[in-house]
Amino acid sequence: MLDIDEIPNPNRLRRLGRVKEKPGIATDMNSMVDMAFLLLTFFMLSTTMYRPRGMELVMPVPDDEQTRTEEVQAVKASQALTLIALPDNKLYYYRGLPEVGGFKPLSYDKKGLRRFLQTFVQETEKPVVLLKPHPECAFENLVILLDEMNINHIGRYAIDRVSEPELTLMRSTGIPVPDL
Amino acid sequence: MRLSALSRPKTPQIDMTPMVDMAFLLVTFFLLATTFKTGEIVWVQMPRSVAGLNLPMTDLLTIFVDKDGRAYLSLTSPQARRAWLQRHAQVNQIQYTEDEYRAFETMSGFGVPSTQLRALLQTPAEERKRFKQTGIPTKVGDKNELADWIILARVTVPRLRVAIKADATTPYKKVEDVIKTLTDINVLRFTLITQPKKLNDDAGY
Repeated sequence: MLDIDEIPNPNRLRRLGRVKEKPGIATDMNSMVDMAFLLLTFFMLSTTMYRPRGMELVMPVPDDEQTRTEEVQAVKASQALTLIALPDNKLYYYRGLPEVGGFKPLSYDKKGLRRFLQTFVQETEKPVVLLKPHPECAFENLVILLDEMNINHIGRYAIDRVSEPELTLMRSTGIPVPDL
Repeated sequence: MRLSALSRPKTPQIDMTPMVDMAFLLVTFFLLATTFKTGEIVWVQMPRSVAGLNLPMTDLLTIFVDKDGRAYLSLTSPQARRAWLQRHAQVNQIQYTEDEYRAFETMSGFGVPSTQLRALLQTPAEERKRFKQTGIPTKVGDKNELADWIILARVTVPRLRVAIKADATTPYKKVEDVIKTLTDINVLRFTLITQPKKLNDDAGY
């Protein structure tokens, strides 16, 4: 028998069979757990922790045409490479100054453009690249060119407008170029 | 012999409560962490690049350029958007109603000339998707509305970052217009938003 002042230990009482198990409401939690984990999986997979990514572009201070042409001319012809992006994902390049036979085609993939830039960087001291996207070419083409500049660690590059004399020269070599 | 004792072998009872707690805690976390891409003003297929600069989620002004070259502006926080419109109203001597301010706060961005802005703001939210936005013009006479909006945004948000989100197929001249607009008002540092690509992925033309 229990002493009066003894605090009844519920577990001991249960062992002794003195207290009947309360029926309680036994909820079947399985389906809830299923749901919870289903939702968990869904949100885990759908959360991308999305953050926009991009490439930084720093443009030169706009100045008058005069100083710019002087700067461009200050670059030695042997250092310079000009890439001209044409519509329909066509890419041409020339080294130094534009001349009739100087325009050569290039492909955007890594066997074309990237390998070419790698050798250009290796064999040129202080390489300078001029990117000249044609007004009608896709924006993506410019992004690829800028990207390749970063990949090949070409620090000195500039985005410039493709000029009419260049296009005339290209046309005379038989490259179809849309008008500006 | 009692049959019931045989047919129901004693299974160990596992207390599932803590597990359920954990599961719901995690559900709640992911539920709150998920930002379902809320309706961007215009869908843009971004070009891909290996560049990995993370953009801030606040104080960011994004210039969308869709594939037809229409420009849209989007500023990140609603409070900043309200202040932005207030400045615009102040400069251009326009009075906007409280409802119109509230509409501007809820819209992530817009792409209409300022003459049509009021009409856009008065369109009920559910019909706004069908409102034909013609883009913010860069050349109206000698005025460049896009530049004006960007200047106002820079005044409103001191630490503003500017990003261009242009479609991969947008003709370069349209993007050039936007870049020219930026350099003309001395925004010389900005970001081109791209989607990530692996170094060895090919453009594949």
